[in-house]
Amino acid sequence: MSDLPRRDPRQEWIARNRLHPRHAEVLLAAGQGAASEWQGPNGLVRRNPHAIGFVGPNGVKRIDRSGTQQGAGGGGATTPAAERKPLVEIEAPAFLVAVVPDMAGGRLSGHDRDLLGLARQLADADPVARGAVVAVIFGPHKETSFAEAGVDRLLHLDSPDVAGYAPEARLGALTLVEEAWAPRHWLLPDSKLGGGELGRRLAVRLGERPATSVWQVAADTEAVMGWQCTARGAAGSLDIRRPLSRVALALAECAEPVSETRHAAAELALPQPLPSTLSRIQDLGQVSVDPSGVALSEAEFILSAGNGVKDWPGFHHAAEVLGATEGASRVAVDDGFMARDRQVGATGTWVTARVYVAVGISGAIQHLQGIQTCDKVVAINMDPGCDMIKRADLAVIGDATQILEALVTLVAQAREEKRDAA
Amino acid sequence: MQPEVTTMPALEVTVLVSVGRHPLTGRARRADQDARGVELARSLTDAEVRLLHAGERDVSSDAALRGYLGMGFTELSLLEQPEGADVLPALAEILDETSPQLVITGERAERGEGSGLLPYLLAERLGWPLVSGLAAVESVEDGVATLLQALPRGQRRRLKVRLPAIVTVDNAAPTPRQSAYGPARRGTFETTAGPVSDDEEWAAWQVQPARQRPKRLKIVKAASARDRFKAAAAKAEGGGGQVLTDVTPEQGAEAILTLLREEDVLR
Amino acid sequence: MLDILLPTLIFAALALAALGAWRRVRLWRRGRASKVAFLRGLAAMPRRYLVDLHHVVARDKVMANTHVATAGGFVAALGLAVIVHGLGLAEGMLGWLLLAASATMFAGSLFVVRRRRNPPARLSKGPWMRLPKSLMAFSLGIFVVTLPAVGVLPSGFSQGVGGWLVALLLAGVVAWGLAELVVGMTWGGPMKHAFAGALHLAFHRRPERFADTQHGGYPSTGLKALDLDDTEAPLGVGQPTDFTWNQLLGFDACVQCGRCEAVCPAFAAGQPLNPKKLIQDMVVGMAGGSDAGYAGSPYPSQGLEDRPVGEHQGSPHGPIVAPASTKDGKALVDAETLWSCTTCRACVEECPMMIEHVDAIVDMRRHLTLEDGATPGKGAEVIDNLIATDNPGGFDPGGRLNWAADLELPLMADVERAEVLLWLGDGVFDMRNQRTLRALVKVLRAAGVDFAVLGNEERDSGDVARRLGDEATFQSLARRNIATLSQYRFECIVTCDPHSFHVLKNEYGAFYPPGQESSYPVWHHSTFINQLIESGRLRLAPGQASRVTYHDPCYLGRYNGEYEAPRAVLKALGVELVEMQRSGYRSRCCGGGGGAPITDVPGKQRIPDMRMGDVRETQAEQVVVGCPQCTAMFEGVVPPTGDEEVAVKDIAEMVAVALDTTPAATLAPRDASTPQATEEVMS
Ligand SMILES: Cc1cc2nc3c(=O)[nH]c(=O)nc-3n(C[C@H](O)[C@H](O)[C@H](O)COP(=O)(O)OP(=O)(O)OC[C@H]3O[C@@H](n4cnc5c(N)ncnc54)[C@H](O)[C@@H]3O)c2cc1C
Ligand code: SF4
Ligand code: SF4
Repeated sequence: MSDLPRRDPRQEWIARNRLHPRHAEVLLAAGQGAASEWQGPNGLVRRNPHAIGFVGPNGVKRIDRSGTQQGAGGGGATTPAAERKPLVEIEAPAFLVAVVPDMAGGRLSGHDRDLLGLARQLADADPVARGAVVAVIFGPHKETSFAEAGVDRLLHLDSPDVAGYAPEARLGALTLVEEAWAPRHWLLPDSKLGGGELGRRLAVRLGERPATSVWQVAADTEAVMGWQCTARGAAGSLDIRRPLSRVALALAECAEPVSETRHAAAELALPQPLPSTLSRIQDLGQVSVDPSGVALSEAEFILSAGNGVKDWPGFHHAAEVLGATEGASRVAVDDGFMARDRQVGATGTWVTARVYVAVGISGAIQHLQGIQTCDKVVAINMDPGCDMIKRADLAVIGDATQILEALVTLVAQAREEKRDAA
Repeated sequence: MQPEVTTMPALEVTVLVSVGRHPLTGRARRADQDARGVELARSLTDAEVRLLHAGERDVSSDAALRGYLGMGFTELSLLEQPEGADVLPALAEILDETSPQLVITGERAERGEGSGLLPYLLAERLGWPLVSGLAAVESVEDGVATLLQALPRGQRRRLKVRLPAIVTVDNAAPTPRQSAYGPARRGTFETTAGPVSDDEEWAAWQVQPARQRPKRLKIVKAASARDRFKAAAAKAEGGGGQVLTDVTPEQGAEAILTLLREEDVLR
Repeated sequence: MLDILLPTLIFAALALAALGAWRRVRLWRRGRASKVAFLRGLAAMPRRYLVDLHHVVARDKVMANTHVATAGGFVAALGLAVIVHGLGLAEGMLGWLLLAASATMFAGSLFVVRRRRNPPARLSKGPWMRLPKSLMAFSLGIFVVTLPAVGVLPSGFSQGVGGWLVALLLAGVVAWGLAELVVGMTWGGPMKHAFAGALHLAFHRRPERFADTQHGGYPSTGLKALDLDDTEAPLGVGQPTDFTWNQLLGFDACVQCGRCEAVCPAFAAGQPLNPKKLIQDMVVGMAGGSDAGYAGSPYPSQGLEDRPVGEHQGSPHGPIVAPASTKDGKALVDAETLWSCTTCRACVEECPMMIEHVDAIVDMRRHLTLEDGATPGKGAEVIDNLIATDNPGGFDPGGRLNWAADLELPLMADVERAEVLLWLGDGVFDMRNQRTLRALVKVLRAAGVDFAVLGNEERDSGDVARRLGDEATFQSLARRNIATLSQYRFECIVTCDPHSFHVLKNEYGAFYPPGQESSYPVWHHSTFINQLIESGRLRLAPGQASRVTYHDPCYLGRYNGEYEAPRAVLKALGVELVEMQRSGYRSRCCGGGGGAPITDVPGKQRIPDMRMGDVRETQAEQVVVGCPQCTAMFEGVVPPTGDEEVAVKDIAEMVAVALDTTPAATLAPRDASTPQATEEVMS
């Protein structure tokens, strides 16, 4: 067979006409199986958003709704988007901007990326005298996209001394960096553990008065370092406009993360080895806390049971499999199914979870009060008219027992596959 | 207080307390984290707890500081400082003088710059170790304290630190006990004058009530106008949630799982 | 023989009783000072007994007659016996009168016997079980020994050996009677209630309670202020001697009739409170000792057996509630007992001895909150919110009128004078109550009432802070509210929150600056709406044929005696009203008062669940209420499986949908938003 594409106008027409009964089928044939849309076994139309579109010449994903792209996209050797971004290299930087990302879980967090974005702004402001962004990271990591995040130089310090909670050893390392390269800027995420702490230690050690909780930076020729910043003060109730300090601790979303370019992320090494310091703080390691026993007010993911829960062993099992902290409505507590310290609501605990799954809870005002500050609320309920559904970001109408069962099966399956793949 | 029982010298603890600010009304109150620090100190066995505040004394700060006295103290040491002063030198001096074994502070003040730098400056100045974000003090033995540091998701890390040390408390530290009117009213302020140093930089900065931060828009790197339009439209309808009716349990579960993954709460 | 024995017995008993009285009085005197008009009190005592006390006792007709016969017979018999047998003056009618008195008493005591045969659970047993026998002994003994005095029996009947024995036997019987009824009166037997009760009536801590009814008013129900400027005075009651002496005296007056227990919602819900036991514990504390001798129903306990007696003890200067430092230590009562009370006043309403349970409970709570900082549950948080934001929910005090943005409510700050100051209460922050408020605004506008609101100048009335024992925060709120109120001119205050109503009406008076006083009536909206209907300002289009029942809110009914107006309004609406078995002054609490939902002491069941059970019994489609708390409590009840939900409606909502909107009624020209409001209310 020839590789020459042969055109079939009728097929193309069907491919363009999404209402055509054979549309999916034709696409499937043309796209060699990578259809983005098909009919599921139970009649539900399913979409695979990743199969839609193609990556344009400048690394930007494009979607062509004309329909033809589906079949054509798979043609050439696809290159990952990352490699298509232009590479920016800074051989002889005029100065350095040092960033110490948190690397929570061994990866750059969103906060870290925002900070790197800010660092790029500071480094690239003057096109004739560009600076380089140095990321200083501690301990083992799993990150592969330093280049895409805007890092010119990467200083990876991996010694047992700086692993775990070792603020004093890390501070010692940063002082070496300061001695070796004297970065013009030091940027750290103003996060709870990590940057927030290390940054303050560093500033104090360097004798700098850091700007903390910075959320905006703008060029200002009058200011000492050429930049003015806006920082939050007084527990977030004030905006302080002040010149940007040498050491700055910035909040998440202080700048846009880098997205259009790629950088060298060249390995850098300290001119001298890390001194081994005698730490006065000894890390005895993480204490294992069972998620279901975590205090409700601290929990990030709560599976909460109400009067609609009929299968209690099933509920507890689901919480265990999902690794969620258990919560309850007052009725579930009153009826003796859940302990009193698990009650969420006006007379229970006010929770701040990122995800709150309300299973068989109607959403009485006293209950909703307790979940006001939750980010995402998922409701599982039989009654589409109840108030919890109105509050929920995602509501699934149906029987709680069955849905929880299905969820448990899915999660277990996914874990299985992951284990097999590994 | 039988003298023969006090063979072990009491653990001397100083809690630095500040005047807080209610987030909605701005009224002076005991600062939440500082109050947690006081509660933490109260929970230590054999501890001799001292409250220390450096700052101005006026009607509203008086009421707020009495909030700490109401937690069961008879007196509070007050280093009188004019408004806007840098309280570090005064605090460092008195801590140097009284040399407590453990200094407890909150993470950030609810008024003023609130940079959270003070404990670090004190630690550097006194040459003491500092541990941040405590949830609890497990024990103090032979000049070594075993601490529990709060990690995200309700997790904890156990640390040992040699005293004297400065520790800051996390919001996961125990909820402060109620401040009772009686002891608050009876408690006294033991006022001392400390060295005063003006904070000139602070005076030079522009300070105004916090503005609402603009919500970050989902950046849509879309080449076609159609995608940009779709993204904009999706944003606008964002108010209500998605309701799945007439789905099988499996489909519902799948939708939930997707959300859990997006929010990255599954481990 | 008897001639010598009887006077000896009688005078010995009287002497012993006097000694006992002196000792008892000393116990009371350990309490704090309290100003009492002694002579006026003593003079008023008979009236208070015959009118006020009997008003309560007479609710149980048989018992009332029993008591009249027994107590009346006893008092007369004792007095006459002193004259006839003690002084030997049996002249003329006296002997016959004595016979009649003791016979009456005997008849009464037969009823007492009958009642004790199968005593209801609320009655105490123990020594109380022998009381009928003692009564019979006394009355019978006196009767028989009096027979010779009037010549029915020969005076020499006790001569000879047989006679001697008879005489000794009779003397014994009389001695038994005297010991129980006279000596026991002051030495702590069941008859103590008579002695202490009489003095309690005379020296009652709330004399105005009687004076008010005398002048056709309603008994005083507001709590007494704590003098916070007096730094010597204890903040509330931490030990028995912190009570005033006449409160201690009042506790001694308890007859352990258990009427309070029978009506207490917390007791019924299985929360660890029994008002009768609580009063008895106070008696134990005042005298020192343990509660082992208590022979009535104990405090209930969640899920488990009831709390056993004998584990708690106290002393006059010992703590009432064990301090937190003595972990699982016990003192006189557990804190939970005090926090279970909803301050519904059902016990006070029913108590024949005019004991003020709620005052005592709040006094002890004051100590727990102000001295120990031990308000349980969400109490501390609510108090902190009240201090920082002037409302219990911690909402932005600048947003009190957010709900009414479209209503354009006239602000007092703008108009400065109005016919009615509409007090909105903290319900402004609650979506459910906002519906009620909208309805009320609509009604007022329909009637053309010139009203204005305080808006952001309004603060919480302080009701919850005060019932949680935080007198300091209450007084601070009260003083600031008073200062705001005194800037404006208005004829009356109307509110749809009975708690604000009660506090504004009955409790703010004590906090006006010297030389000023509250000069305006305060009305609950049901009363005011009824006035509007009666005066023809409000026209209704009756014809709602639904079957409803009405729940009397405690703070409207028992606290302020308003039972009629809401019923009159319902009648004007033409709905069918079915009363619950417990309504009017016997209405059962919804469980929402006194900060009980905040302290949330667990019980076997919930009070609102029981009350909704009462509602269901009537088979009404709707339950009409007049209180935001009641609404919240009832709407928080999950109906038993299979049962339909009963709608909960505020009386203002009922009226708002029945407004006669034919053209004549559009009296309020200013009201542009009425159509919209209507929609809101109907939905
Ligand atoms: C003063 C006060 C304070 C209160 N404080 C609190 C508080 O702090 N916390 C609190 O939670 N409540 C509180 N309440 C109680 C509150 O008003 C409600 O009664 C309670 O929250 C209802 O609990 P629920 O949603 O579990 O029960 P219900 O209202 O009975 O709701 C059960 C839900 O489950 C659904 N359902 C039934 N069967 C199934 C099934 N098989 N699968 C899926 N769904 C099903 C039903 O559709 C319904 O929506 C308070 C009430 C008052 C008056
Ligand atoms: S307190 Fe009153 S109602 Fe209760 S038992 Fe005693 S006398 Fe009876
Ligand atoms: S006021 Fe009500 S709840 Fe309190 S003790 Fe009396 S009856 Fe019980």
